[in-house]
Amino acid sequence: MNSLRLPLLESVFCAVSLGAIVLDNERRIVLWNSWMVKHSGLQHEQVLGQDFFAVCPELRGGRVDTAIQHALYNNFPSLLSQTLNKAPFALYLSPAAAAHDERMQQAVEVTPIAIEGTARHCLIQVSDVSIAVGRERLLREQTMVLRSQTFSDGLTGIANRRHFDVAMEKEHRRAKRGGTPLSLLMIDIDHFKAYNDHYGHQKGDQCLIQVAAALAGILKRPCDLMARYGGEEFAMILPETDVDQALLMAEAIRARTQQLAIPHERTTDASQLVTVSIGIATQKAEATVEIDALIGAADRALYQAKRNGRNRVAALQS
Amino acid sequence: MFNLTELENDALIEIFNIGVGQAASSMSAIVKEAVRMSVPSISFIPRTEAARLLGQADGVAERICGVSQRYRGAFDTEAILMFPEDKSLEIVRLMVGEAVPLKELTEMEQEAMCEIGNIMLNSCVGTLANIFQRELQGSLPQYHIGTSDEILTATGSQFNSVVLMLHIDFLLEKHQIHGYVAFVLDISALHDLKEQINLYIARAMGKV
Repeated sequence: MNSLRLPLLESVFCAVSLGAIVLDNERRIVLWNSWMVKHSGLQHEQVLGQDFFAVCPELRGGRVDTAIQHALYNNFPSLLSQTLNKAPFALYLSPAAAAHDERMQQAVEVTPIAIEGTARHCLIQVSDVSIAVGRERLLREQTMVLRSQTFSDGLTGIANRRHFDVAMEKEHRRAKRGGTPLSLLMIDIDHFKAYNDHYGHQKGDQCLIQVAAALAGILKRPCDLMARYGGEEFAMILPETDVDQALLMAEAIRARTQQLAIPHERTTDASQLVTVSIGIATQKAEATVEIDALIGAADRALYQAKRNGRNRVAALQS
Repeated sequence: MFNLTELENDALIEIFNIGVGQAASSMSAIVKEAVRMSVPSISFIPRTEAARLLGQADGVAERICGVSQRYRGAFDTEAILMFPEDKSLEIVRLMVGEAVPLKELTEMEQEAMCEIGNIMLNSCVGTLANIFQRELQGSLPQYHIGTSDEILTATGSQFNSVVLMLHIDFLLEKHQIHGYVAFVLDISALHDLKEQINLYIARAMGKV
């Protein structure tokens, strides 16, 4: 029984369905199992007794090298995740993949191996995590699709309040980090309640759709965002935009709305057309404020624009 | 409570700062960005208090993400790197540069977190071992999620053990994240540790 034990262990080692390599204390390859032969294309006789870094020169100086040193000289095991180490070993799932240099996704473990009578060895285990990586890629793609659906307003198709909150958080952090100004516009359709009461809710919805589409069309940069903030209120996030540029943008919005020439008999504006009032708040590059304070300032500016007669722009700098 | 002299305390902080410094440079090499880490302070606290210190926002136990490894040799300890769950999401995603954040760490991200823990803990304990001129033997990292009490229990720590708590400041791409490394020690491990520190101090003094 005992005489069979060693060849049996070696056969088992060879047969396991993950990559297994054993190095001696001088980092020479002592064992290289069949899985490694199959996926690396390197036969036993090509690698056994060879210096590990002569066989895998690109691993020298990298994480695998450090892990081997840790195992051999410090007695510590290491784990190399697929996520942080993109496929360190040249291993392929098929000859076709090898031809395209499309490596197998790998997770690697390097563990010290104590043997009586000789200096410590180490075991390198490589597992194929391609399936898990594929599954997570799918999960992220579907999350993206789902998120873009839950982030848009059902009526107008522009970004909804939730999207606004997330974008605001992101842009606010980016402005703080990059030391750039950030402007926020609050846009409200004048006397919208009266419009709804007079023309009916269907017309009211149509007015919202038309105004939203026209204003969203003004935005040219991908980082700008226009969202439906509440009933007839819209918000616009303008990164890297100072108060002067924000005023220009607001004035363009005000003019564009009037240009739509949507009749509004119940407005106080002499034009008798649908108009908007706009409040601007700008966070200067050198003086950042909290998000709530910025929104509050834009709200106060909007209120001021309303009080000054509507169909106009007001700005507050915070 | 178990206490160290000021000298012993300073020596330990210095050793751990060397350790996390090495971990930071390994991590910088992975993400090809500057990663900085430091240990501003350490403390010895009872196991029960450690559970309370870690994440008790408004009396509700916060979810903690932990990576543990067991070490044996010059002293025996269970070492656990711990971050509040949201911070662990932040760290992994900063390291990975992932654009689509999901609510929890995915399987692959958990493995990445294990690797981060592995680098940190091996660097800290490795530095200790080198300075103590003694060898320690470590296990592979294990991922945990739960309250700090659950994690401390899952890693097999006794209620009467003592925790050497390292406060870790982790700085990546202008994000500063606070975490902890806990070394759970029983009374004999505690004395082994103290003895090793004193041997180190004696050697250091002798050489001056």
